[in-house]
Amino acid sequence: MSERNYTTVNPCIMCQPIGSVMAFKGIEDSMVLLHGSQGCSTYMRLHLAHHFREPVDIGSSSLSEKGAVYGGSENLKKALKNLISRYDPKVIGVATTCLAETIGDDINRIISEFRDEEGVGDERIIIPVPTPSYEESHNSGYIKAVEAIVKTFTLDNSKKDIFNNKLNVILSENISPEDTRELKHIFNSIVGHNSSILLPDISETFDAPMTGDLHKIPPGGTTHADIADMKNSAASIGLGITNDNKAVNYLEQTFDIPSQNLPLPIGLEYTDKVLAALSNISGVEIPDEFQKERGRLIDAMVDSHKYVYGTKVAIYGDPNNVLGMLSLVLENGMHPILVVASSKSPRFAEHAMERVKQVKPDCDVTILEDVDFDTFNDAVQKAKPQMLIGNSNGKYIAKEMNIPLIRFGFPIHDRVGAQRLLTIGYKGAMRMLDRITNTILEVEDTELAAKWSEPESYVPLGENSFHSAEA
Amino acid sequence: MPDITSVVDTLDERKPYIELKQANKSGELACDNTSIAGSMSQRACVYSGARVALNPVTDAIHLVHGPIGCASYTWDIRGSLSSDKETFRTSFSTDMKELDVVFGGEKKLSKSIDELVELYNPPAIFVYSTCIVGIIGDDLEAICKEATERVGIPVLPVKSEGFKGTKSDGYKAACNALMELVGTKEPEFTSEYRINILGDYNVAGDVWLVKPLFEKMGIQVITSMTGDSTVDSISKSHGAQLNLVQCSGSMTYLAKWMKKEFGIPFTKVSYFGIEDLSIALRTTAEFFGSEEMMNIAEEIIEQETNRIMPEIKAIRSRLEGKTAAIYMGGAAKALTLIKGFRELGMEVVIIGTQTGKRDDYKQISYQVKDGTVIVDDANPLELADLLRNQKADLMVAGVKERFLAYKLGVSFCDFNHDRTIEFEGYDGFLNFARELDTSVNSPVWKYVGSKIEDSYPGSSGANKGCGTEESQKMSNRITGERNMQNIDPITLQEESVA
Repeated sequence: MSERNYTTVNPCIMCQPIGSVMAFKGIEDSMVLLHGSQGCSTYMRLHLAHHFREPVDIGSSSLSEKGAVYGGSENLKKALKNLISRYDPKVIGVATTCLAETIGDDINRIISEFRDEEGVGDERIIIPVPTPSYEESHNSGYIKAVEAIVKTFTLDNSKKDIFNNKLNVILSENISPEDTRELKHIFNSIVGHNSSILLPDISETFDAPMTGDLHKIPPGGTTHADIADMKNSAASIGLGITNDNKAVNYLEQTFDIPSQNLPLPIGLEYTDKVLAALSNISGVEIPDEFQKERGRLIDAMVDSHKYVYGTKVAIYGDPNNVLGMLSLVLENGMHPILVVASSKSPRFAEHAMERVKQVKPDCDVTILEDVDFDTFNDAVQKAKPQMLIGNSNGKYIAKEMNIPLIRFGFPIHDRVGAQRLLTIGYKGAMRMLDRITNTILEVEDTELAAKWSEPESYVPLGENSFHSAEA
Repeated sequence: MPDITSVVDTLDERKPYIELKQANKSGELACDNTSIAGSMSQRACVYSGARVALNPVTDAIHLVHGPIGCASYTWDIRGSLSSDKETFRTSFSTDMKELDVVFGGEKKLSKSIDELVELYNPPAIFVYSTCIVGIIGDDLEAICKEATERVGIPVLPVKSEGFKGTKSDGYKAACNALMELVGTKEPEFTSEYRINILGDYNVAGDVWLVKPLFEKMGIQVITSMTGDSTVDSISKSHGAQLNLVQCSGSMTYLAKWMKKEFGIPFTKVSYFGIEDLSIALRTTAEFFGSEEMMNIAEEIIEQETNRIMPEIKAIRSRLEGKTAAIYMGGAAKALTLIKGFRELGMEVVIIGTQTGKRDDYKQISYQVKDGTVIVDDANPLELADLLRNQKADLMVAGVKERFLAYKLGVSFCDFNHDRTIEFEGYDGFLNFARELDTSVNSPVWKYVGSKIEDSYPGSSGANKGCGTEESQKMSNRITGERNMQNIDPITLQEESVA
């Protein structure tokens, strides 16, 4: 329903604090505490549990009416104390919500008072991140939290320790645990083992192996030593190009660490770009493993090209993920008729347009950002794509249009395996292309005979022949 | 009284909220308080209470006045089904930004209401206030009142600022909004016997397995609140002679008001489990005092019970002796579950709720065996401890608890929003039994916590000789050859020197 000016209908974004939570969940031995009312943490726990299918603990200062009137200092201090007593985390992220921001709590002061009053030593790191829910989106919350983490860990001595010869790799948008594992594999294989520092790292924390026991805090995440060491690194790579990577910029400005922002390696060309950059930076030839993988991807692209060519797709989700998917879709000869980023970012449209011009200049494409699903729906009705690629929230539109939805991004709450979705690298591109191609084949299967041929003498067994075994 | 620390490790301040049931000791469990900061409560906020209780009204627009998050996280998460309009499954928000916070969101809200009326033509709009509205002081009531006059449909404020109380206060806010509708339209009667079903949210279509039973008894069900209800049916609900209240935590407040306002008595019932369902049908028939109706009720009870019993018995034989943990939002569901488990031969070892009151816990305590842990407003670490120490085979709860149970190798059944099959009515109970059967008796649990070495003791490489004869033979060859390779180069070298 178009022509709305005041109401958001079916939102594409979530609020800033959840982005902050996702970033902190990628840090070793850490917990997040939301300074706000009880519901914020519970809703985010629900949302994340639905997607990752893991237990998700997020603390809350459980602000009440009294706290809202007289300030939330008492609640926040108590929450910190209880959280430490129960979980004993070495790192606590304190993200604010709209409530805490509007009542004007000075969380830096409250935290420092708490440290003094409770005699909390330096070994316990508390990181405040202002993330009012009425500003920007989950994407900006993520970037802000990552910046706050890096700043806090490198703050103590602003001077360099020892040059560590490592490469910082800092994400500016959430990717899946499987993607994170693949990313680490790529970096380890090219730059060398222990030669890069990936932040945040949710590969284990949001996809923990089942052992029969439950850890208070799931093991894994970027280690504290590594984060502290980021100021000594040789260079930084920011992954994601639509937004400013604040942590990367901070490291460059404060510690003169040269940096480069690269797209998420999704699809052939963006993966090429990242691998080439890694090879250039490290002076190491791209390992044969990836050359072979790349060859296999191209083989897969050739195998699929007839099926996917010209298929009109609409892609939606977080900007960097969408940009990568746009690139993949273009490379395979598909027609990205509608490309939508959930939140506003300074360079999304520019990069998206550039990719279209490079691969398919005559392509008729609509690029939107910062819209709700209702607006997206209007655009879909107009553009009439044959397929949607994006998160679960597009399911209503896909169903109404009777077109397939390839689930990708966050949140995916109505299918299993979101934590294992691989999109990154040549391998991820192959997986994604296979899913797209097979979905198209599933829809218009020309290889399958419409009817099973039976000899004329065939007598049907009767209705219960199959079902009796089931019951 | 043994200390609860034998089964759970928790904050001192939390200890009064957990009790190990002992003979002749009716514990006074602490409850009905705001959650302790940093205790990692499983509860949500006032807004969430209002949202879950009110959102299933199918044809109304549910407009969230606040920043985008509150609307994002509650978009179509209730699992309630509708037999007609699906407006309630769309998420509407005023998406307040920084400027709205600074200058107030009243104008935006008014315009948003106007726009929605024009575009969707709804029979009513519920406007939910969120935390921030309570701080910046938007006058929700005044705006809604003005809007009602301006647009000609009820625009009802739901005062659900997240921080102003607990989830239970949210239920009240929802009921207060419903009160604005009840009695505003003239009801049409199709039977001399009329009821409302209160506190059923039609999750997975529950109501559709219950309503026909009453209809068979000759009763007109005017509305079911709020599952599968419409603004119209709610407006006419004062035409009932009896209110049946299931989720008592959320709807007793409304039932009491309807009693005071319209003289409609209410009774608490449950449509879950053979026993409670029979009680619900019998109580209703007895209330109307019709012999014919009582006979029909008995007929339904007998026929339906006989119909499902063979399968229930078969499943019961596979569940007998297993233990269950219950952690529910409300106490009514927890209580009825105790009976349901008993009917399936299972024993409850942990029972807790997010919003139980003193009387609820007394009743719970009366219903469970000694040694059962009763807990109010539990948190993940407590629940994990309890699942371990009380040795539960199965947990019944909501999404947040599911993965915690799984990690501990405990099977799980969702009795919350995420359920996609009905658990109420006779077929619902059969569904429940089937789900427990598949959950508890799935072969996957035996693998949780297992190691390759458990099944194949030689596989760690350290215990040579534990494998089969074939693998022993192969192992000798491989390790032998490996040894030879180690020696070979040296001998070669020696030879070359010689």
